[in-house]
Parts: sequence; C-alpha cells; structure tokens
Amino acid sequence: MSTIEAPPTTLSPPAERLRDRFARSPLSEKVSVLDLDLPTVEVGPSDWPAVARFLRDDPECRYDLFLDLAGVDNAKRRGRPTRFEAVVHLHSLSRDEHVRAKVLLPDGVEPRLPSVIDVWPAANWFEREAFDLFGFDFPGHPNQRRLLCHDAFVGHPLRKDYSPGQRWFFAEEDLRMPAWAVHTEERAGHFETQTISIGPSHPATHGIIHLVARLDGERITRAETQIGYMHRCFEKMSETHTWNQVIPFCDRLNYVSAMINGVGYVRTVEKMLGIEVPDRGRLVRTILSEFSRIMDHCVNIGTNLVDIGGLTNFWYLYQPRESIYGLIEACCGARLTVSYVRVGGLAIDVPDDFVPRCRALLESIPKFVDDVERLVTRNKIVRNRLAGTGVVTKEQAIAWGFTGPMLRSTGVPYDVRRSRPYDFYDRFDWDIPVANDGDNFSRYLVRMEEIRQSLAIIRQAVDIFPASGPVNSDDWHVVLPPKDAVYHDMESLIFHFKLIMEGIRVPRGERYDWIEGANGELGFYAISDGGAGPYRLKPRPPCFPMMAAFEEMIVGGGISDAIATLGTLNIIAGELER
Amino acid sequence: MSGVLDVGARVKKLTAFERLYVPGVLKGLAVTMRHFLRNLVAIRRLPTILYPERKRDYSDRFRGKHILTTRDDGTLKCVACYMCAEACPAECITIVAGEHPRISYEKYPVVFDIDMLRCVFCGFCVDACPKDAIWMTRNYEMAFFNREEAVFGIDKLIAKPGLPVKDGLGYRPYYPGDGTVPPGDASSSPVIPGDGEREKLREKGCDVEHTAGPGPLNAPSPAEKVEGRRSIS
Repeated sequence: MSTIEAPPTTLSPPAERLRDRFARSPLSEKVSVLDLDLPTVEVGPSDWPAVARFLRDDPECRYDLFLDLAGVDNAKRRGRPTRFEAVVHLHSLSRDEHVRAKVLLPDGVEPRLPSVIDVWPAANWFEREAFDLFGFDFPGHPNQRRLLCHDAFVGHPLRKDYSPGQRWFFAEEDLRMPAWAVHTEERAGHFETQTISIGPSHPATHGIIHLVARLDGERITRAETQIGYMHRCFEKMSETHTWNQVIPFCDRLNYVSAMINGVGYVRTVEKMLGIEVPDRGRLVRTILSEFSRIMDHCVNIGTNLVDIGGLTNFWYLYQPRESIYGLIEACCGARLTVSYVRVGGLAIDVPDDFVPRCRALLESIPKFVDDVERLVTRNKIVRNRLAGTGVVTKEQAIAWGFTGPMLRSTGVPYDVRRSRPYDFYDRFDWDIPVANDGDNFSRYLVRMEEIRQSLAIIRQAVDIFPASGPVNSDDWHVVLPPKDAVYHDMESLIFHFKLIMEGIRVPRGERYDWIEGANGELGFYAISDGGAGPYRLKPRPPCFPMMAAFEEMIVGGGISDAIATLGTLNIIAGELER
Repeated sequence: MSGVLDVGARVKKLTAFERLYVPGVLKGLAVTMRHFLRNLVAIRRLPTILYPERKRDYSDRFRGKHILTTRDDGTLKCVACYMCAEACPAECITIVAGEHPRISYEKYPVVFDIDMLRCVFCGFCVDACPKDAIWMTRNYEMAFFNREEAVFGIDKLIAKPGLPVKDGLGYRPYYPGDGTVPPGDASSSPVIPGDGEREKLREKGCDVEHTAGPGPLNAPSPAEKVEGRRSIS
C-alpha cells in the first residue's frame, strides 16, 4: 500500500478519475487504485476510516450508499497479498457509479479493521456478519455479536480452515438477550415498563425473526432484532458445489420471487465467462422476472394488509399470484423453486403457448389490482394505520443503505433497471414510481404502481418476443448440448460429460454484478480461482440493511405500528439469513 | 425509457365525506359483494381446488417423483455412469454399479437410491442423464412415517413396462420439436451389439440375440440390505 501502482496503459474512465482524485488527495500514499470489473481501492486497515470518509464526503466521489461488505479468506487462493480481506461495495447516487474498496488485513495478527458505522450506519449488520462468519474484529462497533450463527457456535464458518462437519448444539440457556433487556430499569413517571419478545415464531414476523422490545405502555422505547433462525449456509455450500449447482440454492434466497435471484446469479457468472445469451432467452428471463416482481409485491401488500386486519385483499392478490405460478410451472416444472435459468440461458425453452398465456395474465392481473386499490387506497382505517407510521427520511434511507421500493418511497429514484439498464430495460417505456413521505403508506403506493409498471414492461416484452429462436448460448463449454445431439454424436456426449463431471470453468477473477430485485438492489459478488465452482460467493441481499435499521425505525411508535412497518419492509428470511 | 412518477402526489387527501367511516365500509362492501355474487354464479370456476378429491392440473414439465425408465425387455436403461449423482446439488442419489449378467449391457446399477427427503426436485439428474434413463413424474404426494422409508430404491423408482405411471409423466429430457417424441437413440429397444462385435461375441459363445428371453430384473435394493450406507436416522 505504499504507493499508487504504476498505472496500466488502459484504465477505464471511472477508475482513471478515481486514481487521479486520490493522487491529488492527502491519502495518495495510502491507497492503490486498481481497475477490475469495478474501480477498486485497496487500503490497509489503519487508513480505512479516513479513506471511507473521503469516499463518502469528497465531492468527486460521494459514494453515499453502502451496499455490501463481504469477507474473503484467501488461504487457498493464489496471488493475493494477504490472507483476509474485507470487500466493500459502494454506490454513488449522484454519479450513478459503483466502487469497490478492499481492506487488506495484514497476516500474522488477528484480522482487525476499524468499524465504519459512523461513516455509513448501514455497515452495522454487515460488520456483525463478517465478525460472525470470518472472525473479523471491528473496534468501535457498538454491538459486535454473532448475527447469523447462534451464540453457542464455536469458530468462524466461512474461514477456509473451518470444517463444516462440526455440530454446535444450542440450548435454551445459551440464548443471550441484550444486556438492556435483562436488567430493565424502572423509571419514575412512566406508566409501565416491560421487556417483551415478539417472535421468533409469530405470524406477524414473516419468517422467523426475534424482536426484543422494551415498552413504555404501548410505545417501544428500545428494540433489538435477532435473526439467524433460518441461516442455511448458502455461502459455505456454494464453495463446495459447481457453478450450475448453485442455481437451486439461489431459488431459496428470496423464495417469493425466486426467478430474479437465479437471473442475478447467472448474469454474474455469464459476465465472468464473457458469454452472451440470445435475445429470446433474455426476454424470457425479463418477462418471468417482472412477473416474479409482481408476485413479490402482491405477497408483500397482501400479507401486510392481513397484519393490520384486511384479509380480503390477501385473497384478491393471491389469485394473480396463483395464475403466475401456473405460467412459471408450465415453463420449468415447479412453482416456487423454479431452477429455470442456467449459466448461458435457460434449462428448457418455453412452451408453445407462452405468449398467449402471458397476454391472458396481462388481462386478468389489473382487475385484481384495481379491486385492491378500490378497497384500500382511499380507506380511512388503512390511512390511519399506514400513513405517518414507520417514517424514514431520505437521509436516513441512504445512510442505512436502503434500495428498492423502500428507498424510492423516500423520493430517491434509484432503480438498477434505469441506472444501469440490463437486458432490454432501456428499450421499454416505463416509469420509476416514487413517493416523498417515506412512510408505510408511501411504500404501499410505490409497490402498487410498480405492479402496473411491471405489467407495462411485460406487455412491451411480449410484443417484441421472437416466435422462435434459440434461448441458450451455443457455447458447449458452458451450456449442455441438446439431448438429441448427446444421444447421437460422440463429440456432444463428451461436452455433456465434461460439463456434468467437471463443471463450467470460469476464468480466475472476481465480479460484482447487480440487478433490481423485488426488494432492491440484488448483487452477487463472485470470486473464481479457476475451479469448478465459486471460490467465494456473496449475495447482497436487499432486505438485510432494512432489517438492520428496523430496530431504530420502530422506536417511539406503538407495537401495532411496528408490525405494520415490518410488513412493509418486505423481509424475506431466506434472503436475509441465506 | 421514460421518467419518474410521483405516486405520493397523485393520491389526494381524503375528503370530509370519505373521512366518515361508513362510506369506506360501503365502498368496500360493494367490491366484496361483487366478488361474492360472481363466485356464486360461476361456482365451477372458483380458483380454489377441493384437494384431495380434485387435484391441480400440472403441466407435463412438472418435477415430481422420479422414475427409472426401462427397455422393452424390462431392464433398466441406466448404465450406472454416476452422472446424475454428480450433477445432483443435494447429493441425494446413491449408485452402486455392477456388471450386468448380459454382456451387451455391460454395466447396470445394483443400487440406485434417491433420498426423497434430501431431494430438491431441481431436475438436474434428468438433464445430466445421457441415456434417457431417469425421468420425473407429476406425482408429488410422498409422505413417510420414518426416514428410511424416504429412501427410494430401484423397486420404488422403476417404471415397469406396460404399467401406467402414477399421475402421469413430468419433466423429461428436452427433445427438440414437440417435446414428446424421444430421438431414435433414446428408444427403449434392447441393446444389441453391432455386427462386427456380434461375430466376435458369438465366437466366444455368448447369447448375443437374447434368445434366452428377458433376464432377471435388476436386483431391488432395500435400504437395510446395503452395507456401509450413510446413517440417516
């Protein structure tokens, strides 16, 4: 980290700009700027807070949105200077750019880097996760406890020397409640003070989430969320499976809109391989992703209204969801766990009646959405429950790392489909819905409008959908040859055999690729060491930073407001805890 | 590409009339009553299904319980190449290969177990099979009393020739065309070695034409009989 690396002859413009900016700053001696798939800043742990502050505040950087922190253990990977590194991804809303910062943690001492929670409050849970899974120590973190693994867990599971066969049993007495919850002070002048647990198994906690809350009467005065009940070792398992075998695991991240996860993941791998998917395949992905987004919003709005007492909307919104599941099942053979995408295309071409079925859905879905709109939008009870509760200001939303409808409901029109159009999104005519109040009602409005915008996107995608053509890339190093060829042709059989037995060979390197999930920016940070599977795979789950902010959002409101707020956050435990 | 739409500004404040509870209730009642009457008239088109008397109609790509396909003579098409076991992300397939008594078949699975509790029904085994030997069906009703029962051996997986498959066929290898007709080489006719090979085999005194009739089916594999299985209790 002594000097800036000798600049390679061709640096991409953003990396070039960043290198120039650092060269003119007092930090020039401390960082090196590389040009990988994203401009990358490498820094040592002692300089990290200063660099972080610079990245956030400098008018030419302004990386205000903290997206992700991924630990990496390089023990079995060649060519890296240190064993541990913390990889941070940031986004600048004003300049619409991503950047990566790598904190290289020196060997020989315990991995330790200062917490940047005061620069980006969103770092809170990401740092706890890195402490939990990698054993990184974050001096300055106010609540450095395990997050995904339970309190009786020993070791740090994502380190390469951790043996996954070990079992750590968790007994009830191992449960560590927050210190403030154990000793509650009785304070004069308050009607009643008590600490309660909401969840983990509670119908309103959508998934299994444990909320410890201290109450003053009905008001919540302090809260802490405990998660990890549904941690399924997605990242550790990916490291022992091939690139294609990870696809069924991805379905189980956000299982309400499973298609989008798969698309996000395979896009990352396809970028690493440098292969192109034919238009027809990409359009199928777009159409089914948008249908999945509609389902996700239907589930979110429906269950949220159930939580506050409006059951009818649930029926009306689940009906289109059922018909969409019918279409998805006709394409891939499963409703929820689709496993439809493959690296390089799709598992199987769509059925012949795909386009007519899409059109029929486009006819039927708006009717149900209209009915819900009639029931809810101008209803006084709903307004009383949702308007003005769970308020997040624009500044808070950015500081907490929100993306997706949560961020857009505060007035920030950040949508990956617009900011970095992938597939065909730049060809379609659609609007980004925003609202300015940042309360639960705004989120409801934004999601309702997003359903309509998704329908508009699907309508245009169906119009340009080619009647025939390949859906898969024809690179047989990546995509399985057609079965017909495998049965008849020796060369195809060899390709088939090598793909199944060895897997796809992804060139050595790393990549962060991101798309717009139903909850916000869904990123996948993948590292390949040239082997058959990912060396490290870290999804950037959009609901993770939102759940981290939940305990601060609900303070001051009533319990009933907290339930309504939890509903509009759209927490999907599968994605939250992976 | 288009613009940004402010949905918050579009929604007006409630009028004084709307702020009375009764109009909201009546308006809501109008919507729900419309649904109720429509459902009453078209009761056959209700979206709900009276399971288990009636079942949902799934497509012929549905990924349910697996079957092992057979040739016309009743032997398994599977040649125990381990490709499905290798492709399986859930590691739920256990194969033990053996030498087939009939020389032209060479290799066959002595044990072919699928642990239905581990299986994630992703269909990767079907995609991986180079011999068209494993298909999926539309049967999704599998309930067990214990974990041993959930390990399906050949006896539960084999699709006996001539017998109908429960609930119909589901996900199969994708054939170009209408998706139903398998290409020639995946047919179920018994394998007969080519002419040159046949001569050599005949000289060795092998039963090349299968004149002895169909041989015994592949040995069934009750889970308890196999030594060294991973413990699943």
